[in-house]
Amino acid sequence: MSNSAVSLYLDPQIRDWVLFPITLVMILVGILRHYVMILLQTPPKKLPLEAVREQRALLRSQALRATSANSPIPPMYYQSISRHLSEAFEAGTYLKDGPLRDGDAPKGPPNPMTDPAAMDGMMAGMKTQMVMMVPQMVIMGWINFFFQGFVLIKLPFPLTLGFKSMLQRGIETPDMDVRWVSSLSWYFLNFFGLNGLYRLILGGDNSADSSRDMTASAFGGAPAAGAAQDFSKLFKAEKDNLEFSEGLYNWVGEGVEDRVLRRYGKI
Amino acid sequence: MSLSSALERLATFRTNNTRASQETFEHASVIMKSAQKLGDDGAVPSARRWAVLEQLFLASVDIGRLDVADQCLKQLSERFRDSPRVDVLTGIRMEASESPEVVLRYYDQLLDADPANAAIWKRRISVLRRTGKIEKAVEELSQLLDTFYTDVDGWLELTDIYTTCNQYILALQALSHALVLAPQNPFYVLQFAETAYTAGDLPLALKTFLVVVDMCERDLDSPAQKPPVGISLRAWMGAKLCSRRLMMNSSQSASNTAVPKNLNRIEELATERVLAAYMGQKRDKAVEGKDVVVSWIGAR
Repeated sequence: MSNSAVSLYLDPQIRDWVLFPITLVMILVGILRHYVMILLQTPPKKLPLEAVREQRALLRSQALRATSANSPIPPMYYQSISRHLSEAFEAGTYLKDGPLRDGDAPKGPPNPMTDPAAMDGMMAGMKTQMVMMVPQMVIMGWINFFFQGFVLIKLPFPLTLGFKSMLQRGIETPDMDVRWVSSLSWYFLNFFGLNGLYRLILGGDNSADSSRDMTASAFGGAPAAGAAQDFSKLFKAEKDNLEFSEGLYNWVGEGVEDRVLRRYGKI
Repeated sequence: MSLSSALERLATFRTNNTRASQETFEHASVIMKSAQKLGDDGAVPSARRWAVLEQLFLASVDIGRLDVADQCLKQLSERFRDSPRVDVLTGIRMEASESPEVVLRYYDQLLDADPANAAIWKRRISVLRRTGKIEKAVEELSQLLDTFYTDVDGWLELTDIYTTCNQYILALQALSHALVLAPQNPFYVLQFAETAYTAGDLPLALKTFLVVVDMCERDLDSPAQKPPVGISLRAWMGAKLCSRRLMMNSSQSASNTAVPKNLNRIEELATERVLAAYMGQKRDKAVEGKDVVVSWIGAR
């Protein structure tokens, strides 16, 4: 390999009119994206009272079950709360649409395509995706169109041949030294590497970094998945859990007098 | 008083939920004055500035400086339009000077817009209770707790309402929910014990007083060496009261709690502990109230 002896001389105009503009445009687009995202964010939708109640009903029995092995409340009170919850779960008192009536077929989880609430969540996801995808595609087209095949910088350290496809994308030469970086590769390096800079400029919780969004899919938002829970099934399961805990139940006041007396050596 | 120390003090008040209104008012006034001198964001970071403003507002309503409160509220509502939190503050300001009917109408209006606004709902309940509509307050509070079950303060308020109406069994039921939600707090257990005692359920009260003792003295290596202090002294006194009355005549328990077998020993131990607290460290110097306690214990 004799290409290390052959040295390229880069026009300083490339530095001024290609390298810096690409970097600057990418940074500015990132910042713009952050503010567009803030504008696009819709405030979380307010839940009606019944929905809040449905969501929080499980907390009741969870609080009761969490302490059941060493429960602070005496047996009569524990049993009355536990029985009451069991009955309510059985009858579906806490369901958003009221208790199930006889003859009603148990509904499956609502279809996300017909549920307007889930649809809103999906639209929000699509919007963020669009804000991410469109500028990146425009920048990439811009670089491909005007600066195709440009060599922008030379890295100050040697690299192995394996980096060739990473650093010299868009230049099909087998012989050039790996240290030269092409314009398209410079774009990708910025694409993945600017996150630290954004965090410096916009603070930790910014939405300028687009490489992170690549991993999230347009349809898989966590809120959309959470909304589709079938509470009537959850309540049925919780009823069994309550029965288990009632078996485990032990009042903390059971035998407390012996414990106290023993501590003072009176027994 | 320096600016930074005032800021720090207010931050501790915020985290500890301390209601030292006069002190808060003085500290916050210092901060606001220097903030005006140095321009808007010069001295105080803006995020903290608004928190201090809110604190100052509540404190000045508390001590009756409604002029200062109005200034704070004006700034806050200009900065945060349509904020539910500012709505609550506006309601508090109205409660200070308007008639209950006007305030209730205001709260109703907000609740119609957003029925799941717990803060407004709670303010409404407190107004209802204050104006003597206890029945309505209990009904609304039960509904609130049915939705927001994990609200310990709500359960305690319900307990308090029931207790003032002499409905001790209902108070015990409400309190048991608070106990389930905060089982680590001995003060709630003590309240449960005292409510049970007042309700006449002596075996349950005795057991619960002993639970308080157990909770408070669990981490002490040798509890017998030191006299009981604070709530464990109160719990020992309760245990003494209950065990003495149980020895005189066995009452039956509404919650079917069994009377402990070693009632005599518990009574002796409780007497010993209560006396230990009132004897003091030095034998010659009597603690205040000692004579009363000794005669009470001797008069069985």
